[in-house]
Amino acid sequence: MSITERRLKATVMDADQIRRSLHRIAHEIVERNRGVEDVVIVGIVSKGDILAQRLAMILRELEQSRVPFGRLDVTQHRDDLHLRPPDGHRPSSEMPDVSGKVVVLVDDVIHHGRTARAAMDALMDFGRPRSIQLAVLVDRGHRELPIRPDYIGKNVPTSDAERIDVLIDEEDGIDQAVIVAG
Amino acid sequence: MAITSRMRHVIESQQFSRTLLEELFARADEIKREPHRFMGRLAGLVMAALFYEPSTRTRLSFEAAMLRLGGQTMGTDNAREFSSAAKGETLEDTIRIVSGYADVIVLRHSEEGAAKRAAAVSDVPIINAGDGPGQHPTQALLDLFTIRAELAKIDGVRVAMVGDLANGRTVRSLAYLLSKFKDIKLWFVAPPQVSMRDDLKAHLDEHHVSYTETQDLDAVLPEVDVVYMTRIQKERFTDPAVYEAIKGIYRIDKNAMARIRKYGVLMHPLPRVDEISPEVDDDPRSAYFRQARNGLHIRMALLDRLLS
Repeated sequence: MSITERRLKATVMDADQIRRSLHRIAHEIVERNRGVEDVVIVGIVSKGDILAQRLAMILRELEQSRVPFGRLDVTQHRDDLHLRPPDGHRPSSEMPDVSGKVVVLVDDVIHHGRTARAAMDALMDFGRPRSIQLAVLVDRGHRELPIRPDYIGKNVPTSDAERIDVLIDEEDGIDQAVIVAG
Repeated sequence: MAITSRMRHVIESQQFSRTLLEELFARADEIKREPHRFMGRLAGLVMAALFYEPSTRTRLSFEAAMLRLGGQTMGTDNAREFSSAAKGETLEDTIRIVSGYADVIVLRHSEEGAAKRAAAVSDVPIINAGDGPGQHPTQALLDLFTIRAELAKIDGVRVAMVGDLANGRTVRSLAYLLSKFKDIKLWFVAPPQVSMRDDLKAHLDEHHVSYTETQDLDAVLPEVDVVYMTRIQKERFTDPAVYEAIKGIYRIDKNAMARIRKYGVLMHPLPRVDEISPEVDDDPRSAYFRQARNGLHIRMALLDRLLS
C-alpha cells in the first residue's frame, strides 16, 4: 500500500478556545443589540446550528430571557448546487418567526462567503427580518462576495489548498478546529 | 559517562532535554524535506552495528541512515555467537576494540544496562538500539517525531498505550519522553498480567503527568488523539498459559477504527501480529508505516548531530 501523507496540519482552536470565543461572541451580541429582546439566533446546518444552539443557551444565561433559535438548511439556495453531489440525509429548516427581528446567522467557517449569501436568501423565504447579522467561529479569508461577518471567533489565514474542519462535541466527540490538507 | 547537552552517547530517553528534542526534530524535518542537502555529510566516517540480539528492521534503518549521509557501515547481526564474545570476551573489551575501528557504534544487547557499560569505555559515541527489557531510545524518538508530524503538536496530546505494557520497552521509552511535555494525558490499556510497571508510574507522578489504567479499550478510543498499539510479546512469557489467556484481546479493526477520533492517529512499533487488522491500513489515521519511515529520518538527524 502507499504511504499516504498526513492530513492534519494544525489545531487552530481547542475546546477551551471555542468555548471562550462563543462566550465573547454572546457578550458582543448583547452589547451591539442592547440586550436580546428582538434577537433570533439561526444556525446554518450542519455545524452552525449546533453552535447557534450553544450561543442561544449562553445568551439565555446572560440575559435571563429565552432567545428564539432556528436552523437553516441552505443547500437548495447555493449557487453551486449543480457542482455538488446530492446529500443523502437532509435536515430541513426549522424557523421561529423572523419578521421584524434581528437575526443572527451562525456558521462554523466563512470562506468565499457563498454559504452566507445563500443563507440570507433562504432566510427571506421565512419572513422579512429587521436586520441580519453574521457570526462565525472561524474566518479563513478568500471572500468572493462583499460579505463581512459581524462577530468572529478567530481569523485564520489559510491557503486555498487547505481546509478548515470544525469538530463539534455533539457530532465528533470533541470540540476542535483544525487545518487539514485539501 | 558523558551525557551533556552536546550529546555524546544515546543511552536512554530521559537524557533528552526538550530543547535537544526540538532541535533533532527540526533537523529531521529538514532531512525529510531536502535529503539531497545531506548527501555526503558523513563521508569518510564508519558506523559499526553490533547486534547481540537480532533485529533486521532497526539495523537496516541505521545502516540506511548512515549510507544516505555518505558514511559507511560494518557490523554483525549475531555478535553473540560469531564474535569473540563466544570465546569469553567481555562487552567492555569488545567495545574498546571496535571503537578503534569505527566512528560510532550502534549496540543492541539482551542485558539491561549494556549500553551504559559500553559508553563508559568507548572512545566514540554509543547509540543504544535496545538493551533487553530496558530502553530503545531511538524508537521513542521516532514515535514522538511521528506524533508531532501527525498532530502538528506534542503539548496537550492524549495517548492510549495498549497491549503488553510490562515488557514493551518502546512504550516505556515513549512515556519517559512524553513526560517532558506539557498537559500530557496517558491511558494504559492492558490486562493486569502485563500492566505498566510501578517505576514508570512513579516517574510520571513525579512529573505531574496524569494517567489512567484500564482494561476497556473501547471506552478509551474516542477519548484520545493517539492509539499506540503493541504486540503481546510471546517470547517474554515464561508461562505459556498466561500468554494464551491474554493474546489477541486488543484488536483494532474497522469497528474499532470507527470509534477513534476523526483526526486521531493509530500507531504501532511493528511487527504486528493481529493487533491491527490489515483492513484499516488504508485509513488515513493509520500511521504505522509512516512511523517506520520516520525512523530513517530521525536516525539520520541523530547521526548527523553526533558526528558532524
